[in-house]
Amino acid sequence: MTSVTFDHVTKRYGQVEAVKDLNLEIPDGQFMTLVGPSGCGKSTTLNMLAGLDDVTEGDIYLDSDRVTNTPPGERDIAMVFQSYALYPHMSVRDNLGFALKIRNESRQDIASRVGRAAEMLGITELLDRKPRQLSGGQRQRVALGRALVREPRLFLLDEPLSNLDAKLRVQMRAELKLLFDRLATTVVYVTHDQAEAMTLSDRVAIFNHGVVQQIGKPLELYNHPRNIFVAGFLGSPPMNFLDGEIGEDGQMVRGNGFSIPLTGRKLDISRGQKVVLGIRPEDVSIGAAGSLPLHSAVSLVEPMGSSTVIYAPIGDKLVTVETGKESSITAGSSISLELPPDSIHVFDAASGESLTSTSGIITSV
Amino acid sequence: MADVAQNALGTPPGKQRQRRVSSDSGWSILRWIMIIIGMTIVLVPFLWLVTTSFKPESAYLAYPPRFIPDNWTLEGYRILFQKEQLGRFFLNSLVITLTSTVLSVAFGSIAAYSLARAKLPFRLNNIIAFWMLLTRMYPAIATAIPYFLLIRELNLLDTRWALIITHTAFNLPFVIWLMIGFYQELPKELERAAMVDGCSAWQRFTKIVLPLSAPALVATSILAAILSWNEFLFAVMLTRNEAKTLPVVMSGFITDKGLLWNQMTALGVITVLPVLLFAIAVQKYLVRGLTLGAVKE
Repeated sequence: MTSVTFDHVTKRYGQVEAVKDLNLEIPDGQFMTLVGPSGCGKSTTLNMLAGLDDVTEGDIYLDSDRVTNTPPGERDIAMVFQSYALYPHMSVRDNLGFALKIRNESRQDIASRVGRAAEMLGITELLDRKPRQLSGGQRQRVALGRALVREPRLFLLDEPLSNLDAKLRVQMRAELKLLFDRLATTVVYVTHDQAEAMTLSDRVAIFNHGVVQQIGKPLELYNHPRNIFVAGFLGSPPMNFLDGEIGEDGQMVRGNGFSIPLTGRKLDISRGQKVVLGIRPEDVSIGAAGSLPLHSAVSLVEPMGSSTVIYAPIGDKLVTVETGKESSITAGSSISLELPPDSIHVFDAASGESLTSTSGIITSV
Repeated sequence: MADVAQNALGTPPGKQRQRRVSSDSGWSILRWIMIIIGMTIVLVPFLWLVTTSFKPESAYLAYPPRFIPDNWTLEGYRILFQKEQLGRFFLNSLVITLTSTVLSVAFGSIAAYSLARAKLPFRLNNIIAFWMLLTRMYPAIATAIPYFLLIRELNLLDTRWALIITHTAFNLPFVIWLMIGFYQELPKELERAAMVDGCSAWQRFTKIVLPLSAPALVATSILAAILSWNEFLFAVMLTRNEAKTLPVVMSGFITDKGLLWNQMTALGVITVLPVLLFAIAVQKYLVRGLTLGAVKE
């Protein structure tokens, strides 16, 4: 049971700042996901927490213990690597028990803990095999088991699902969720997959260019993105963005092919200000031609089964619309669209900051 | 359907197949010729060595020379085995080879691992590695006199240690270079996992890196052992009688009364045999070791 604190942590490789002045608190027992595109500093952050990378500036604490310079083996953490990093010359049983053996635990104790972890993950019948005799999913389980056996104060997972095929990934995602809910240990999880971040986490920290963009509960980030990056990163299909300008009356936003009122919104905007409007595909209303204010013609229809994704241009932008299970709309047909003012996110075009989100950088703990 | 498609491309399927077969057989003939030429270059001198060791004097001095003798004799081997010191020279070769191989592989692999993993400033890793190789760039004879004086000062002339030290020194750069390449290819995440699991640097090396590098170590050991077993220059220079090795003994058959071909070739066969048997025994590792790194798990 452990809380984690990053206190003004910076990591530099030569001239390159991989992580810039990171302040992050992860309370005891929380499942925290660090998410962002590749090269955003999330893995570096995890490696610093593991002790595999040095910290250039600042400090890292586990509870009240300063571990900035503590070697990885003495931090009592377990880590699951993207490549699994199973020891190829050892059986699954020896892989699972290796860390305990290094710590001179008794043979009986090792056997019972390995047995328990193997049972928990359903890999008991694989214990005498070598890693090369396992499938991708089985290796993944062994890698998880190697961490579970340790019963550490903190779990670190570095893109553990990214080497699995899509179907297995979704299945393992659910299993991970159940497993860590039961263990109630603090987990720091790194991924570039927004779906994993949304579904698994108690809280998510979104990274870009070595800086945390926003931290919060998954739905909080989804509903109240602090800037364009966060808004565009979370959600699939991603949020639509339309460039516009605040009109003379300070209420209407005009852009290429549309003019939308922002009535009833408290916004800190000025006339003539360049803005970016964001709206999620599921929030766009779609109707028969003429029934709604914006006219368009369908470019492309993607039936997904559970929903239908429709692409239609507004001005020079192709807008994505997600509608119900089945739709009679076909490509080429005339339709009309509405962007409901309450669902619109308004961002300052220059800074990318949200003008609608009221949440600060740390919205909740 | 497939025929139609191929016809549409303009080539009747039958003809295409025929052409492929003829070019395939052309290739395989050429390949066999290359293999036969290669084998001839490698094997004929060795076979000549073997047959000569069984020839009577009349046969090995015959002109034109005869590859296969009419009469086979064990005379060369008989004379050789009557010299009571042969066993000791064989033992010298064995002890010197084994000791210098173990030493050079042990020190060399640790040094290589350090060079492959340590982050030294000013690209010192590369500089040190290159400097190691430098010691193999000049002809060995260039250091003959300094070596002789050094070993004499150490009072080690004509001892096994003289050659153990020399061979270890000459094999080290070779071992280091072979092993650096291997360690650099070893996935670093395995060692990072071991770090998180609580391994010290030494435990990482002995429990993870060494077991995984066993095939490479075996391959390197074999090559180092062969170099040491066959080394002649320093062996003849630094030994008189006590620590003489088999190649030096062999050169002793060049006498002022002429060349004692049958004894010399008999000893040649005896010298080759252990290496040959050893190489066959560990061939599996040798091939795996030399191709390791190409195959990633």
